[in-house]
Amino acid sequence: MSGFGGVLPWARRTLVEHDKILTSEEFSAILGICQIVPGPNVVNLAVCIGSRFGGARGAVAAVLGLTLGPICIVMLLALLYEHYKYLELVKGVLRGISAVGVGLIASTGFKMLRDELKYPAMLFVVVVTIAAASYFHLGLGWVVLIASPLAILLGWKKAQKS
Amino acid sequence: MSVLIGLFLKLSAFSLIAFGGVNALLPVLFNLAVNQEHWIDVQTFSDYFAIAQAAPGPNFMTVTLIGWHVYGVIGALIATFAIAWPSSILIYFLQRFIMRMQDPIRKSTIQHAAAALAIGLVLSSAWQIALQINHDYAAYALTLLTITITVLTRWHPLYLIALGAALGMFGLV
Repeated sequence: MSGFGGVLPWARRTLVEHDKILTSEEFSAILGICQIVPGPNVVNLAVCIGSRFGGARGAVAAVLGLTLGPICIVMLLALLYEHYKYLELVKGVLRGISAVGVGLIASTGFKMLRDELKYPAMLFVVVVTIAAASYFHLGLGWVVLIASPLAILLGWKKAQKS
Repeated sequence: MSVLIGLFLKLSAFSLIAFGGVNALLPVLFNLAVNQEHWIDVQTFSDYFAIAQAAPGPNFMTVTLIGWHVYGVIGALIATFAIAWPSSILIYFLQRFIMRMQDPIRKSTIQHAAAALAIGLVLSSAWQIALQINHDYAAYALTLLTITITVLTRWHPLYLIALGAALGMFGLV
């Protein structure tokens, strides 16, 4: 519920630093897996951590606990939006927030990019992916199909180096 | 009723291809909801995106709001369930498999490869969505400012969202 601006940093603080349920390495490993698999990362994370402590039931409980509150809030906001969306003020506020929101998504990408600088060859995969998706406008299936052999080859080299 | 089934099936399929999370695939979601299925128009998509960013909780709530627009509370619940269940089941079974993988080289190969793909997808996503929702230079300037501040400082994203809201309120964006 207090997951403003994304839940991940908060999840890490609670599970690793505060409650000490997981070690930092375990958390990173689990997060790594969640990012390989498609789907909402946060839900995947909840499934992994929930199932670790309570099997399938734990997974369901973790996902529901994470999503139910925010769903209610977001629907309340949607109601307010329906009533007040004609106001110039509301339109302006939403325009401002969405411009910032795009920036936040881009900066997640740039922050992750910083970690790749340790092995610059990997940037080639990033460039190929961006070109395929944004310049050639290929469908996602093609993008993944074209970029993943290269990603796996370079990932393998990077893994051997470190 | 058929619109609910359509919502459920399309979003379930979307869940299984959402490599790098929902934000990495916002353009695909945009294409699906606006161009193909005509669930919502461009302006509503852009506004829902803003609401989902500003609200607490996971930021895939744009999907919940699209469901809400299509069929009220039931639509919102079905959309959220549809986006979550296929990948949840997949990872439930995959995590043990990957965790047990003994060969550390193979394990980190997969992780490095996935990370690089995710970065490419996230950056293209931001670029393509910016083209849809930023209407003038001021909006692009605000997006660039956000990127600069987040990459260089440790500001909480909420401050930036508040800044964007304030600038928009005074009609500057």
